[in-house]
Amino acid sequence: MIGTISGDRSLSERDEDAADTAAPRLEIESISKSFRSVDALSDVSIAIETGEVVGLVGENGAGKSTLLKLLTGIHRPDSGRIVLNGSPVQIDGPRDAAHRGIAIVKQEQDVVPNLTGYENLYLDQIPDFTRFGIVNTDRMRSRAEQVIEELGIELDLAAPVSSYSFTERQMLEVSKAFSESIDTDHPIILLDEPTAGLDEDGRELLFNRIDELRERASFVFVSHELDEVLEVSDRIYVLKDGSLVDEFDAATADESMLQRAMVGRETADEYYRTSRQPSIPSTADVALRADGLTVAGDVDDVSFSVRDGEIFGIVGVEGCGKNTLGRALCGVDPPDGGTVHVHGDPVDPTSLGRMVETGMGYVPKDRKAEGLLLYQPLTMNVSLPSIGTERTSHSLGGVGSLLSLIDGGKEREMAAESVEQLDIKTPRLDSLVYQLSGGNQQKVVLAKWLQRQSDVLVMDNVTRGIDVAAKEEVYRVCRELAEDGVSMVFIGDELPEVIGMSNRIGVMKKGRLVDAVDAPVGDKPTEEALIEMMI
Amino acid sequence: MADGTLLDRAGARLTKIRAERTPQDWVIDLGPFVLLFLLVIAFSIASPNFFTVSNLVDNVLRNSTILLLVSLAGTFPILQQSIDLSIESMVGITGVIAAMLISDYQLGVLALLVAVIAGTVFGALNGIVFAKLKIPSFLVTLGSLSILSGSALLLTGGTSVPYRDPSVRWVSTGELIFSIPNIVIWGLLFYLLMTFIAFKTPFGRYCYALGENEEVADLSGVRVDRYKIGAFVVSGLLCGVAGALLAARTSSASPGMGTGLLLQSIAAIVMGGTALTGGVGGPHRTLLGVLVIGVLANGMNLVGIQSFVQEIVLGFVVIIAVAMSMDRRKIDIVK
Repeated sequence: MIGTISGDRSLSERDEDAADTAAPRLEIESISKSFRSVDALSDVSIAIETGEVVGLVGENGAGKSTLLKLLTGIHRPDSGRIVLNGSPVQIDGPRDAAHRGIAIVKQEQDVVPNLTGYENLYLDQIPDFTRFGIVNTDRMRSRAEQVIEELGIELDLAAPVSSYSFTERQMLEVSKAFSESIDTDHPIILLDEPTAGLDEDGRELLFNRIDELRERASFVFVSHELDEVLEVSDRIYVLKDGSLVDEFDAATADESMLQRAMVGRETADEYYRTSRQPSIPSTADVALRADGLTVAGDVDDVSFSVRDGEIFGIVGVEGCGKNTLGRALCGVDPPDGGTVHVHGDPVDPTSLGRMVETGMGYVPKDRKAEGLLLYQPLTMNVSLPSIGTERTSHSLGGVGSLLSLIDGGKEREMAAESVEQLDIKTPRLDSLVYQLSGGNQQKVVLAKWLQRQSDVLVMDNVTRGIDVAAKEEVYRVCRELAEDGVSMVFIGDELPEVIGMSNRIGVMKKGRLVDAVDAPVGDKPTEEALIEMMI
Repeated sequence: MADGTLLDRAGARLTKIRAERTPQDWVIDLGPFVLLFLLVIAFSIASPNFFTVSNLVDNVLRNSTILLLVSLAGTFPILQQSIDLSIESMVGITGVIAAMLISDYQLGVLALLVAVIAGTVFGALNGIVFAKLKIPSFLVTLGSLSILSGSALLLTGGTSVPYRDPSVRWVSTGELIFSIPNIVIWGLLFYLLMTFIAFKTPFGRYCYALGENEEVADLSGVRVDRYKIGAFVVSGLLCGVAGALLAARTSSASPGMGTGLLLQSIAAIVMGGTALTGGVGGPHRTLLGVLVIGVLANGMNLVGIQSFVQEIVLGFVVIIAVAMSMDRRKIDIVK
């Protein structure tokens, strides 16, 4: 329906209609929303002008998601109003929001991989392209081609989305948001963590698009990555605990100002605790050594070693094989060739189960799907890798540990120790972990391996999608672990983070480890230098 | 550091957010108790013969024991979010094996042990095909349901296998302790053993982890295949026990003697609180479901509801129990 009404009016034609509007494109007037007794948002007012890119930052739980859900009609405000072009509106769900010109690019990609790009683009509008029950795919496809062309996005729309790269999928999502809101003058596109999982190139592409499209749309940009928010936005609102605490002009603000407003204290300087980074003597024992590690199509003959207490960063553009390398090191995706040594002993990289016994641990990229039993208690999550070891077993004069009978008391102590050590905020020791915030969930994933007493950790984007305060905690823990002699392979998409944390940084390109750069305190490589090697 | 203080200090850090319990949580936790209570009251009023020691022990408990064993068997695969559909024919073939070994080879009580081992082997085969060849468990066990029932028919020529051996019969119908039939004691022993396994052994713990999210278990270093096979081994073993005891109790065995147990056991497992979505519930809860089904069947008999109607009632019970226990936080789409 949306597609047919707008018919052949192109995006650019409508630009002129929208040129002079007196009232702001979108106003949020002292909106409040609470869930049960918790105030998710209280008395928040925001205005977005035509053609403006507005940044929205805040820690997890600050109310960003709630605000987006109010704007897309998933929740209704308890009080306050939403005003579009000067007239108050009530938004009845995402479809209604799209009609009114508000569309969202969600954090999780909502694509159906086995359908083509254009089918995905018009997934909810396929009935509008039918005549007598038969879908006119040609019309759908040409309309889709037209939309992305006007947006300046290049995609092979006839190919199934499963063949798209992560970045291409994200571009499809952006196109979808535009096509949904196509029959309004000047849509408002909400971008919820749009760069999560994107590599440098993808980000560049996305930011270029935003920059060009601001002529014909307004954007709300939500991200944890403050440098990106500063780069992209005109103005930045800071939310903290459900209230609007500050508003910045992006041209005059910097990261530490935002951080201070978000957290309510100074954090930027010692963010990565670089002063605590030890220099690793070349006489230190080698904890992990990979020789000629190869995974067909992804990782090509990669060799490196990591010493006790060393943090070895791995960077590279999306598709360079760094994630597969991490999985291959641990035996999650068994390598096709090459060997792995842990503490000098050869290990069988075909089973994580066996690797764990040698001291290896793996922190996966996607904590919800791969790291946590979301609907099981914290205690059970923390102890999971340690079940069957004497750390969780009854002694009972040898019999208990022989059968590895689980000692609930030891298990609770283990959880209690982790809650204290990592400062995990949880209602109870046996709370189900889905109730915890993202940062606390990630600490539970770390706790699993700390309690297993793993001393070689492979971590894939360990701070992905967690807020500033939680990131700081994770950095602190990593530093402490390193001081205890734990070695880490630190795979990351965030260059500043990898640079800040690592002793050495391996750069991957097309499956090969092209360089390993020293990153001692005071002489860290620059982002630019690394990017140059990556591409 | 002292243990007590560690827990105390951790306790002090716990934030004051209350864990939210949904109405569904309460239904799952208390539902079977309430239902059992209501059924007992209703049937006590409806039939003077219901609430008597002889009816409750001799009929309800004794008749429920086979269902209990089979339901405990099915609990472990379901806890892992798999399912064992072959239990009916597993009971049939192990019973037939026992009866034939007793009548043709005079193996006596030893035959019962052979039946249990046979069940264990069949279960292991189910598990190996499922885990190693990565074929969905419902398909593997649907296949073995047919294979095993066909084999049992082939072995017996489709007839019942009677035998005379009082010592075998005693294993089931004797009264070693007070005047409780031995079969009930067996049921209770295996119930306690399975509950212990579920809570105290790594195998039990991994059943919950696998049922919740196999990928996470795998990435935590759990040797997933081993424990997937294990669930079917346990299932086969308990079906073997059920087959052997059923053969002992009736002094005969027939290929079809497990018929009807599958649906009843799924009803019992799910009603007890082990959802088909895996990861919650456990064998300790399955007993409740078994008692509900047992009381329901016995009560309906006593008040004279014909068996055809009973079958219809059971069908509704299964669907309602599944509907109430599915964890919808975990799944949005059902196929």
